Amino acid sequence: MGPLPRTLELFYDVLSPYSWLGFEVLCRYQNIWNIKLQLRPSLIAGIMKDSGNKPPALLPRKAQYLSQDIKLLRQHFQIPIQFPKDFFSVILEKGSLSAMRFLTALSLEHPEMLEKVSRELWMRVWSRDEDITEPQSILAAAEKAGMTIEQAQGILEKISTPKVRNQLKETTEAACRYGAFGLPITVAHVDGQTHMLFGSDRMELLAYLLGEKWMGPVPPAMNARL
Amino acid sequence: MGPLPRTLELFYDVLSPYSWLGFEVLCRYQNIWNIKLQLRPSLIAGIMKDSGNKPPALLPRKAQYLSQDIKLLRQHFQIPIQFPKDFFSVILEKGSLSAMRFLTALSLEHPEMLEKVSRELWMRVWSRAAEKAGMTIEQAQGILEKISTPKVRNQLKETTEAACRYGAFGLPITVAHVDGQTHMLFGSDRMELLAYLLGEKWMGPVPPAMNARL
Repeated sequence: MGPLPRTLELFYDVLSPYSWLGFEVLCRYQNIWNIKLQLRPSLIAGIMKDSGNKPPALLPRKAQYLSQDIKLLRQHFQIPIQFPKDFFSVILEKGSLSAMRFLTALSLEHPEMLEKVSRELWMRVWSRDEDITEPQSILAAAEKAGMTIEQAQGILEKISTPKVRNQLKETTEAACRYGAFGLPITVAHVDGQTHMLFGSDRMELLAYLLGEKWMGPVPPAMNARL
Repeated sequence: MGPLPRTLELFYDVLSPYSWLGFEVLCRYQNIWNIKLQLRPSLIAGIMKDSGNKPPALLPRKAQYLSQDIKLLRQHFQIPIQFPKDFFSVILEKGSLSAMRFLTALSLEHPEMLEKVSRELWMRVWSRAAEKAGMTIEQAQGILEKISTPKVRNQLKETTEAACRYGAFGLPITVAHVDGQTHMLFGSDRMELLAYLLGEKWMGPVPPAMNARL
């Protein structure tokens, strides 16, 4: 048996577009690099509050830039990401609390579904401009990801329990202790050291730290480990 | 003769560490890709003021992150970049007005020296090692006399305003003119995306020199 896989913790929120980009790149590489990807649903609103930071989109020129940047990265990363029409309402008013609690409950009960359901929630809010705050919206994403109605409703019933609320709080606090002031953050445990990398644009640096090969944001699938 | 080189404008300030990283990567690729690199000395303080943005280091957690990030990028990019001992004094109090006026004057009088002298200034602020850039004393004196002329002050102001019109809220920005389109890319971490837009090959921040165009 070869060397042990290196653990990567990805702290993310489906409200965050760059979280989606980072998520997909790491999902693509999890079967290429010798890594173990652990998904950590977190609340970006909590991280902003704790760090004293503000969403970049509140600065007009940054909002303008984000919009262009996402358009270009859509092509480069081959992810169907698109700004919702009423971006400010989605980000600042509607938020993602229920969705991230749902994913937290999933991480406790059905962690094997976490990747697919996270993706479906991003597809709703950051591709098809659909709601992710209503219970039926979250259930629709879960079903699209392959959960049965019963499974999905079972998870939904748990989202307001103290256990799930506390877990989301703890995961968010863990991100803060790693130094997060936004999301996504990738925490890489390599050779007894811990590196926190912010953003979806530190993946080539991550490859360097892991001693792995960087093949761009869309690596050829044929390199997958057996 | 092949297709015309694509113009890349790099707006930078020697006060900005990420500007150094972006600068070195583009300097390395200017003899590999079919590009023409135009250096545009600018004032990051002016861009912050005009955009309403603030230096990221003012947020404690960002300052902490910057410090780690620069340490790692130093190795990855192979650039001897290091946080100055008194970081806040350097960035926030001393500033870079004279240095950027100096580079602006150079861009008008001796543009061929702009790359080397910019590098030397970064080496002074952002590295321990300082070398000489090969400028003669007379040239240096001549330039120093010119830095507070209206012509130089206005040029720096105009270049900084040009960056703002391209949408800058910080530095570095790389403005790529490709196939009749203009793309503004912020940061030293959009170079792989730039390669994609140019239809060129990305070989990491330290491309093999043997790929240089003859």
